Amino acid sequence: MKPVNTMTEARRLETASLTLAHGHTPVVRELDVELPPHRVTAIVGPNGCGKSTLLSGLARLLAPREGAVLLNGRELASISTREVARTVGLLPQSATAPDGLTVRDLVRYGRQPHQGLLRQWSKADAEAVEAALDAADLRELADRRLETLSGGQRQRAWIAMAVAQDTEILMLDEPTSALDIGHQLEVLEMVRGLAARGRTVVLVLHDLTTACRYADHMLALSDGRIVAQGAPAEIMTPDLVRALYGVESTILTDPVHGTPVVCPTALAVAPEPASVTSEAVPAAT
Amino acid sequence: MKTPPKTSPKTPTETPTETLTGMPMGTPSVDVPAPRPPRESVAPPVPAAPPGTFRLATGGLSVLVPLRPLLAGAVLALLLVAVGTVCLAVGDIAVAPLDALRAAVLGSGSPRDLLVVEELRMPRIEAGITVGAALGVAGCLMQTLSGNRLATPDTVGLNNGATAFAVAGIVSSSTSLLPSATALTGAATAAVLTLALSGGAGQRGYRFLVVGLGVGAVFGAVTNLILSRARIDAANAAFAWTVGTLNSRSQTAVTVLEVGLLVCLPLAVVLGRRLNVLRFSDAVATGLGVRVRPLRVAVLLTSVVCAGLAVAVAGPLGMIALAAPEAARRLTGPGPVPVLTSALAGAVFTLLADLIGRTVMAPLEIPVGLVTAVVGGPYLLWLLLTTRTRRTP
Repeated sequence: MKPVNTMTEARRLETASLTLAHGHTPVVRELDVELPPHRVTAIVGPNGCGKSTLLSGLARLLAPREGAVLLNGRELASISTREVARTVGLLPQSATAPDGLTVRDLVRYGRQPHQGLLRQWSKADAEAVEAALDAADLRELADRRLETLSGGQRQRAWIAMAVAQDTEILMLDEPTSALDIGHQLEVLEMVRGLAARGRTVVLVLHDLTTACRYADHMLALSDGRIVAQGAPAEIMTPDLVRALYGVESTILTDPVHGTPVVCPTALAVAPEPASVTSEAVPAAT
Repeated sequence: MKTPPKTSPKTPTETPTETLTGMPMGTPSVDVPAPRPPRESVAPPVPAAPPGTFRLATGGLSVLVPLRPLLAGAVLALLLVAVGTVCLAVGDIAVAPLDALRAAVLGSGSPRDLLVVEELRMPRIEAGITVGAALGVAGCLMQTLSGNRLATPDTVGLNNGATAFAVAGIVSSSTSLLPSATALTGAATAAVLTLALSGGAGQRGYRFLVVGLGVGAVFGAVTNLILSRARIDAANAAFAWTVGTLNSRSQTAVTVLEVGLLVCLPLAVVLGRRLNVLRFSDAVATGLGVRVRPLRVAVLLTSVVCAGLAVAVAGPLGMIALAAPEAARRLTGPGPVPVLTSALAGAVFTLLADLIGRTVMAPLEIPVGLVTAVVGGPYLLWLLLTTRTRRTP
């Protein structure tokens, strides 16, 4: 895996009073967040809180209603999509591929933003694809068709595609949903490895304990606003869990890794007044 | 927290297939620095070109030629020449195939052969090839755009629009208003209507397809209404425009189609690389740096122009736009979107159908549109029955 050049100043992705909306309904409101470079940031929060919407906004899939997403201080919307694609990689939720593609075919697509009509395959492309296959531990499976792989392997192949894109910032929308814990570990360990090699990773995650375990930085969202942000060990409290999900909980410490483990105990009796509106706290499952 | 990644679970490994490298400027392969402790072997050298492709490179420029589509294209091109030669040779006046080929290519031979080949059969073959190619490209683009193999110019109402306008033109005026011009107008009208009603190219083009079906049905009804109220001789004259034929083509329309193809084919090839990405979801495509909306519009316009110009030559020739890309996809495999292969397949199918139409009941001639419908219907059924269920394309 080619390490991202850390000599140059890290690309910073931040939002300035960002409001995102689906139609007329604002989903994310006046958000100011910054993604710490070379770290794993997890976006957590209840269903419908705007996690995926925020990620879509950060990845320019959704244009800001107000405010802006800034890449190194430049407005993301003013940069060509192709140029952004060389800095920001994205794996959307439940992505599907055309039939018959092999793992290597899929990973090759990650090189698209670096290629052109008359620059279709360079040494850098070849190396990036091989490096991405290595990073995802997929070299032995490189010529297998995607549909013959297990869920975790397929997900790693998709991440490998985003890795081959060789971007400093990588965004993954619920990369572990629908995976069992073994496959979740496969994917999340891979994510850690990427951050260790200098990438900035942003993940949307459902599970708080997983997020605490694998993220350096956490953004807790509720009703489109930031409720808390910071290192998981610092911000993860029973109060936060109650504010996010309306659930009483005990926070334990992972005996192996020392990270917080969220142990839900009961539904909160009444929604916490601090949590904006009543509809912001849907019944937890 | 930073434990080494788990090794991949319980799957039989396949040895990586040998890469087919064909670099004229042999770049030395380079070892990737192994990022993690190597398992049982050192990392293999980086292949110069991905498996199944051939890399042409000079300086900073490189072009990747996928081998299987190249082979498929070559086979189809040979087939096209073969079918074309048979078309030149067979008919009321038989010409020896070699003589026919010589007359067509070199322009030499007996005056009789020259007359038959150059004056009578070449224009028809020219029309067949261009119409077929245009329909093949149009179908391929539209199918890729909407992620649906049933989305072709026939299904989204273009053909019916063209027919309705052409028939209306023929029936309403005794002077021969150029039917191909009205047909083109009709195709464009249907396309614009469909586009406007479905609110643009849209997400995954599904809405576009459904609206197109509706627009096509309306135009089909209009055609029938006009024909039922027309005088019998006018209805007769209009008949050709309801089935699709290469018999009553206008040379002007063929020329216009050729110009259109000269523009659209290179455009389709240039769009093709990004078109590949369009087969993923819009989010993935955007993530890979493709501006999805403008691309959709460009692809749709190219498709509509190709289909409209083809219909203006031959009338509503069904099934080619559906069958050609499908055949092309089967031949080329899961690689790039087979734009050029679809064009070749369309040309072969059209010539073949016309050949069948001309010979099977000679001297009576069956319009090529009827042949494609008769052969295409069962083909469609076979297609639906034999393909395994697939996830979203």
